[in-house]
Amino acid sequence: MASRSFTVAAPPAFRSVGRSLLLTLPMALWSLLMFTPTFQHGGRNLRIAAALVIVFMTGLFYLMMRSGETYRWRRIFFVAVGFLFPVGFIAALIAERGTMSIPIERMVAGQTPYCFMVTPTILLPAAFTRTVVFPGSILPTASNPHSIAVMIGVWFAMTLVLGKAWCSYACFFGGIEEGFAAAPKRPKAWRLVRRLGPTLRLAPWAILIFVVAASAAIFEPVYCMWLCPFKAVTEYPAVHSAQTAIQMVIFISLFVGLVIVLPFLTKKRTQCAFFCPFGAFQSLFNKVNLFEIRFDRNKCVDCTLCQTACPTVALSAESIREGKTLLNCMKCGACVDSCKKNAAVWHLKGTEVAVKPERARLLFLYGAWAMATMFGGSILAGSMAAMLHWLPGM
Amino acid sequence: MRKGIVAGLAYAGAALTLLIAACVPFVLIGTFTNLVAHAGLHVDTAYTGGSVARTIERKGYEIVIYQPVRPRALQRIETFQQIVFKPAAALPVQVSEEIDLDGDGKPDVKVIFAVPADPRTPLRGDVVALSGKYQSLKNASGESFSRLMVRVNDEVVVRVPLNEVPGTR
Amino acid sequence: MLGLATGPVCLASCGPVVLPWMLVQPPGVRAHGAQLSLFLAARLAGYLVFAAAAWSLGAAIPQSWAGRSWIFGGVELLLAVALVVYAAGWPRPRCADRKSPSKLVKIGQASPTRRSGAVTLGFLTGVNLCPPFLVAGVRAAQLESLPAALAFFVLFFAGTAVWFVPFLSLGFVRRTPAVLTVARMLAVLLACWYGFSGASILIARAHYG
Repeated sequence: MASRSFTVAAPPAFRSVGRSLLLTLPMALWSLLMFTPTFQHGGRNLRIAAALVIVFMTGLFYLMMRSGETYRWRRIFFVAVGFLFPVGFIAALIAERGTMSIPIERMVAGQTPYCFMVTPTILLPAAFTRTVVFPGSILPTASNPHSIAVMIGVWFAMTLVLGKAWCSYACFFGGIEEGFAAAPKRPKAWRLVRRLGPTLRLAPWAILIFVVAASAAIFEPVYCMWLCPFKAVTEYPAVHSAQTAIQMVIFISLFVGLVIVLPFLTKKRTQCAFFCPFGAFQSLFNKVNLFEIRFDRNKCVDCTLCQTACPTVALSAESIREGKTLLNCMKCGACVDSCKKNAAVWHLKGTEVAVKPERARLLFLYGAWAMATMFGGSILAGSMAAMLHWLPGM
Repeated sequence: MRKGIVAGLAYAGAALTLLIAACVPFVLIGTFTNLVAHAGLHVDTAYTGGSVARTIERKGYEIVIYQPVRPRALQRIETFQQIVFKPAAALPVQVSEEIDLDGDGKPDVKVIFAVPADPRTPLRGDVVALSGKYQSLKNASGESFSRLMVRVNDEVVVRVPLNEVPGTR
Repeated sequence: MLGLATGPVCLASCGPVVLPWMLVQPPGVRAHGAQLSLFLAARLAGYLVFAAAAWSLGAAIPQSWAGRSWIFGGVELLLAVALVVYAAGWPRPRCADRKSPSKLVKIGQASPTRRSGAVTLGFLTGVNLCPPFLVAGVRAAQLESLPAALAFFVLFFAGTAVWFVPFLSLGFVRRTPAVLTVARMLAVLLACWYGFSGASILIARAHYG
């Protein structure tokens, strides 16, 4: 029986320094390009933060090239975004209005920033009645740059490149769970995951159908108003009634349970794997995205290390037998990096499996890291600039 | 040969994906944003207050009366009608206005509130129903989307619920 | 016409009950048609019971009748219980099906549980006092005779039933273990939704009068 390892193995250097630097060069240039407007127009703190982010993102990409690993370096970026985004967001809220709660005045004024997670719930009412059931504004304004049109535009454009890899390279909430899941060396409740995981990983689909149908029925963004765990670290409707108090209890309970406690106990991204309806929605884009992870059945010895490593229970014995991942694979690379037999490989649909997998990996990573730098990098820079502002003398 | 063609198409697709990635910040975000902006979408009237019915001019400020907003499907709001006083900076310290909301020439509600000097101080006031068609509000602030009296930017927004059973007119 | 016009509201109110229920029925449009017919027939029975009550009480049910909250809340709670009961009683994917080459689950013929589920859920949605239902009730109460009131409700039912026909398309969805599991989870979620809604209405009624 294969020994059960819950940490990702570190192989020896995969690529020479020179070649790694050469492959990193385009990403370094891209990072500079992304932050050129910041250097031209941003304040001092933002410029310092941007420089740090360029070094950070370029450095991580270099390490991906040098080591041949993806998951470990991507996770560092992702956890950084997950923890720094709320810092910057909450700091901005406190500076502006002194509280994280969003008063009804703001909603009436259409100043609620739009979050991509609302997108599935607004589709049906928008399709049938051209009505957006979200208290924001369609076009950006000075007081609400994160308008509905802008955020949907950003999300859709990035999804064309990332597909479900959005959940590994863009979602600024997933990194929080990934951070807590990475903390312990061994999971305390892995038997629970093994027993319940295959069933619970279907829950996001049920929740997706439920919130879409309910939102269309009552013309309200049901997920936002009742089920979003991340209200606990962003903004929430002001508590002034029994209903808003119940909503607050639900938000905090879901956050503590699914984002902190369960990831810590299971080393899995439990909110993503067992709850997030947006993740289920985003999984649909895996059907059209060209990049995927496949398994070479000639090399696979069914040791299940990949299943253990997968943070979102996107692998089953049956799917591995078929040489594939499940639809909710978010292309984080954990299975590939954990496979001792190089059976799990990156793959470009239409090409042969396990023939030049590194080429597929590079093609995927250039697109994914470009998006990560553009989106997550800007979040990191903004949050770091806010933190620098707090330092004396800055 | 067929495998080669398919693989070629796959690599072309991958290259296209990279091209798309390069275009995202410069072209695509703006394109999709404009597409959504011009798709004829509008935010639900439960949040925006509906469309303007008419405007009443006063000395230095105006009172904008909106069309009634009715709940759609199983939406959990009461039928309400929005009144906006603007600009708030030009309002007298104490406002007491009788307003004809349904355009029949008779006043339907009396809106009473004091405008705080500090815009960040929460607003509170009363709405007295003068006809059976509307409901009164006592010490109203921001209870719900269908019954509120709040200051939004430089306007005072009042929403008066109607005595109307959803599904009937 | 009233039924056709208010159909979307009926669909929003009662359609969510039908969705998970239909997903665990045997695939095929014919099988779905049978179950949907049973559901709608029970719904019609509920409509007619309400029509008779509305006509008998006549003007005693004004549009803003406060007591409707008790019935509305109570029916929603019963719907929640019925969804949980029938979700727990639905066929689970058999282990043999997991190992078989086919991924599809063999669902047996119509069973007493399945029939009683359709009847229970149909009847409860039939007496669910949503606003259009009340409007129809008031109009029926103003008619000259009981047969006229019942006939009005039959026509109202026909108008709303048209909106449920698209559910037949669920017959084309393949019945894999995953579909059944998702349907069961959806039923539990909807049970929580109806339960919370019903309880809120009853508590608000009891507290505020």
